[in-house]
Amino acid sequence: MTTPPFDPARPVPAVPTAPAASTAPVPAASMPAATRRAPHVTAPPSPSPYPSAAPVPAGPAGPAGPSESAEPAVPRQKEARRGPVRDRYFDLLRAVALFRVVLYHLMGWAWLPVVFPSMGVMFALAGNLMARSLKRPAVQVVRSRMRRLLPPLWLLGVVGVTGMVLQGWGPNEDGHPGWWWFHLVYWILPLSDPPFAESVPGIHGILGADWAAELGGPLWYIRAYLWYVLLSPVLLRALRALPWLTILAPLVLSAAFQFGYLNLPGERFPSALTDFSTFGACWILGMAHQEGVLKRLPRYIVPSVAPVIAALGLWYAFREGFKTGYDLDSIPFAQAVWSFATVLLLLHVSPSWTEWPRRLRRWDRLITLLNSRAVTIYLWHNVCILIAATLWDQLWGFDVLYENVPWLLESPWPVLAIAWLLIGSCIVWFGWMEDVAAKRRPQLWPDGGKRPAVGRGGQGRRDRPGAGHRA
Amino acid sequence: MASRTGRHGAARSARGGSRPRLPLRLLLPLLLLVALVAMLMLRGYVHSEILADHRVQPPAATTDVPEKILEGGPVIDARGGRTESLSVPDHRLVLTFDDGPDPTWTPRVLDVLKKHDAHAVFFVTGTMASRYPDLVERMVDEGHEVGLHTFNHPDLSFQSKKRIDWELSQNQLAITGAAGVRTSLFRPPYSSFADAMDNKSWPVTEYIGSRGYLVVVNNTDSEDWKKPGVEEIIRRATPKGGKGAIVLMHDSGGDRHQTVQALDRFLPDLKKKGYEFDNLTEALDAPSAMTPVSGAELWKGRAWVFLVQASEHLTDGLVVGLAIIGTLVIGRFGLMLLLSGVHARRVRRRRFRWGPAVTEPVTVLVPAYNEAKCIENTVRSLVASDHPVEVIVIDDGSSDGTARIVEGLGLPGVRVIRQLNAGKPAALNRGLANARYDIVVMMDGDTVFEPATVRELVQPFGDPKVGAVAGNAKVGNKDSLIGAWQHIEYVMGFNLDRRMYDVLGCMPTIPGAVGAFRRSALEPIGGMSDDTLAEDTDVTMALHRAGWRVVYAENARAWTEAPESVSQLWSQRYRWSYGTMQAIWKHRRAVIEKGPSGRFGRVGLPFVSLFMVVAPLLAPLIDVFLLYGLVFGPTDKTIVAWLGVLAIQAVCAAYAFRLDREKLTPLISLPLQQILYRQIMYVVLLQSWITALTGGRLRWQKLRRSGGVSAPPPGADGVPPQRRPGAVDGRRPVG
Repeated sequence: MTTPPFDPARPVPAVPTAPAASTAPVPAASMPAATRRAPHVTAPPSPSPYPSAAPVPAGPAGPAGPSESAEPAVPRQKEARRGPVRDRYFDLLRAVALFRVVLYHLMGWAWLPVVFPSMGVMFALAGNLMARSLKRPAVQVVRSRMRRLLPPLWLLGVVGVTGMVLQGWGPNEDGHPGWWWFHLVYWILPLSDPPFAESVPGIHGILGADWAAELGGPLWYIRAYLWYVLLSPVLLRALRALPWLTILAPLVLSAAFQFGYLNLPGERFPSALTDFSTFGACWILGMAHQEGVLKRLPRYIVPSVAPVIAALGLWYAFREGFKTGYDLDSIPFAQAVWSFATVLLLLHVSPSWTEWPRRLRRWDRLITLLNSRAVTIYLWHNVCILIAATLWDQLWGFDVLYENVPWLLESPWPVLAIAWLLIGSCIVWFGWMEDVAAKRRPQLWPDGGKRPAVGRGGQGRRDRPGAGHRA
Repeated sequence: MASRTGRHGAARSARGGSRPRLPLRLLLPLLLLVALVAMLMLRGYVHSEILADHRVQPPAATTDVPEKILEGGPVIDARGGRTESLSVPDHRLVLTFDDGPDPTWTPRVLDVLKKHDAHAVFFVTGTMASRYPDLVERMVDEGHEVGLHTFNHPDLSFQSKKRIDWELSQNQLAITGAAGVRTSLFRPPYSSFADAMDNKSWPVTEYIGSRGYLVVVNNTDSEDWKKPGVEEIIRRATPKGGKGAIVLMHDSGGDRHQTVQALDRFLPDLKKKGYEFDNLTEALDAPSAMTPVSGAELWKGRAWVFLVQASEHLTDGLVVGLAIIGTLVIGRFGLMLLLSGVHARRVRRRRFRWGPAVTEPVTVLVPAYNEAKCIENTVRSLVASDHPVEVIVIDDGSSDGTARIVEGLGLPGVRVIRQLNAGKPAALNRGLANARYDIVVMMDGDTVFEPATVRELVQPFGDPKVGAVAGNAKVGNKDSLIGAWQHIEYVMGFNLDRRMYDVLGCMPTIPGAVGAFRRSALEPIGGMSDDTLAEDTDVTMALHRAGWRVVYAENARAWTEAPESVSQLWSQRYRWSYGTMQAIWKHRRAVIEKGPSGRFGRVGLPFVSLFMVVAPLLAPLIDVFLLYGLVFGPTDKTIVAWLGVLAIQAVCAAYAFRLDREKLTPLISLPLQQILYRQIMYVVLLQSWITALTGGRLRWQKLRRSGGVSAPPPGADGVPPQRRPGAVDGRRPVG
């Protein structure tokens, strides 16, 4: 979690009682951080969203050769000829979602996931791309998806598990060495949550004691994503046969869990299924958008219905006692309904920008970078937040600061800045793995900055008036 | 110049031609709304509907309370670091009344006290004192003392020092505003005897003492709020053995008739026993606790009381308004359902006929201004008509080659007449002069007829008394949200409103998109007039006054394109509502005339005014109270009531859709329509009212003239038109 070594001088808000309800069993020891952010880690990026947004143009050569989308600018030019074009609107959504995740994991504001339900959005975008890719043979698509998703996780695992073992984590952790070894397999193929040490000492002054939990917390997303990918061929078939039934089925499942009609034994199985049901509707909505299911509706339907659904979700959340520390993450059904409604609206609005609108043009490189390194940022951001908070807390040791600017030491904003600096360095250190996974030339800082001038200026000016605004 | 082009001009300026006007037209409604909301907030505040805190501290330890306070008298003096208690001398009784003033019971308490020549202390709350300032003034005038009891009665031990200060100063402000005095007496809410002070309440008492107040608790608690019966109240209130006491009673917070009755016996009884009933400072032989206030403080207090009074009266007015609008809305729905049912049954009877079948050829007038995009569809749909027609397209100075397109089609029986841009009424009059036949159908350049439309539309002329017929205009572009909302509005307007008006014989408007007239009826009244922005309403009213019947032909369907942006919708509706007001005003003399004109003037005109001009003006009240109810509660009931109104709307709409054989799916957007679309509509109406009341005539003239120089038409320079101007002109569908 963010700042385990809390200075006693700092007011520590009451620890929320809600434990890691769904996935990612966060050990109780890590709870202090839960005051700043919910135990259940939210929001995720689509693995390798950047290249996948321009899905491998299905050449006869089979899965993406290294030439495929070597860097953002190139695919765009190619795709102008080949067909699929990056939808900048989706890029924007993904970047906002990612930024929101980091912000939320630091601040823990309950209203943030309401304002922008990042996870639902991310899953919807990923589902959309998945449906787009599934025009090719399913086995091939699933394999290429997994190849993109897993290597960055392996890199995290190599660093993380090594660190945990060095700090004393081992087969005798919970008395079942066999299980310990077996569970390690989940670091390679995360069909269930990869295991992590319940308590490790950390590095004083730099890395808080709960770093392993911080590291492992967000991995539920990778596991959920993997399952969606594996099930997508089936889901797509169901979607084509019975569109709305398929879209709503996860919501029904989620309701069944919430209202206790469905109880499963153990921990790993229910948590996987809860996450699946919570965001399944969003994933399938993304697929439905790609399949044109939404376009077949009269345009007035979605804006008329979505607010009502959203209101229902919010009403349920408040009925269940929505508050800081007990937010949408702790109420999966409310999360499912609210995310569904929001995603429905966002997809309905979807203006399909092939070029940035003028106001957003200045953000192009930042958004491109966030998109190119979404998985890396997502996997590493929690540890970065923890280090940033631990470092910042060191300042309490300086009496001058403590006496004169306690507000500054308590402020989370400098921590946010430091966290993003650290995330930036993670992009440099670990981001290349995403390129390797996509069989691309590794890059340190893929913000599309080296793009040829033609791609931006010339084309941009020409396209500006028509940019596909739908009334 | 032309109202038609004028409208076009208006639409453009709304889009950005004259930016400064945009805020102005919103400013007045907005100011009104802000004032209204502020007043409602104030009311919610003095009615303890906001910021009220009903928690009560459970008893706590008494270790921090000085012994002498616990064992001392009921008047605690903690001013300036003192810690003293005072007691009331023997044979003196100080009656204290908490929580008032109350409009019902306080006057009776005061009457009884006066009757027995007794003085007392009233600990008033700020909310009640603000609402009933006259009673506070009366208390002071009649020699009683008033004390503070906080602004809205929270348990102060839960509150911050800031809130305590605020509670005291607001309460003081209300007393000053009501009676022009300040007081230094204070009684804490939920207090009782001095020995009930505990670790929670004592710090508050000390703090309030440090602010310069005497804290007054009591010796005997009548517990009258439990309504234990007169005997019991007297028993509890009476001190033992001739001792002095401060007696706690209440003059507010419920039925207090027992208190009043008890007082009426208690006072003379104890007087006989030698008791005196004084106010506190008299009993303690101290200088009065109240000091007169003057200057800024006094005016601040008076302003506060005035504002609260204003908000009280305003809300009373609003409630009356709400009752009126509620009755109107429900009554109107009832009437609509009833009469439209009657109408539908009447015209759908198997052997229903207006008269002999009308088979003679008719003239169709198509006024067109820059309709290049759709004129071809329009004209072709007419030519495909199953009734013999002569089509006259009057090109009102289009610059996009509308006329050439029509001529290029080379269709038989289609004539084009060109004129310099002069407006829609002028174009129609020109067409009328060129029409070959007696029956004239009028439509818009962007409207498409079905093959049967013309035939269905002219059948009512089989009845020689019918002078004009309204067709059934339908929204063609109902795919978008705003389109669906207008679709609902059109269907309801035609199938409920217009049927009702038909039965009542006061159809106010023949839609410009689809209507038919007898030329012999139009000519005596001078054809179309450009006196108003709504020439169709104007001419319809003129026909009524001339004694003609105006009826609705449900099967004469015309598909028109509704505005697709809010600003276009806004300018369209602004013209409609303002034009209707102009037309009503133009024909106002009908009210006092004789014959058919008088009949229309005394039945139709008031009816139309009520439903089209007055009722929509009060409609925002529903939303204001919805918001008020949501914020200040009872939230659940408010939501249920709103859903109830929505259900009535939905039933009516579903009925209308069924009458028109429309699919019900667009009704799914009805809830959202109720919280977005309707509001736009009445802000538009409000704006029309403001225009009408503030030299509207002048403004309208200007508006029309500015239209004459309307900018180059969209489409001429290769830019696709944002909207076809004709659609903006689509005539009112909704009666």
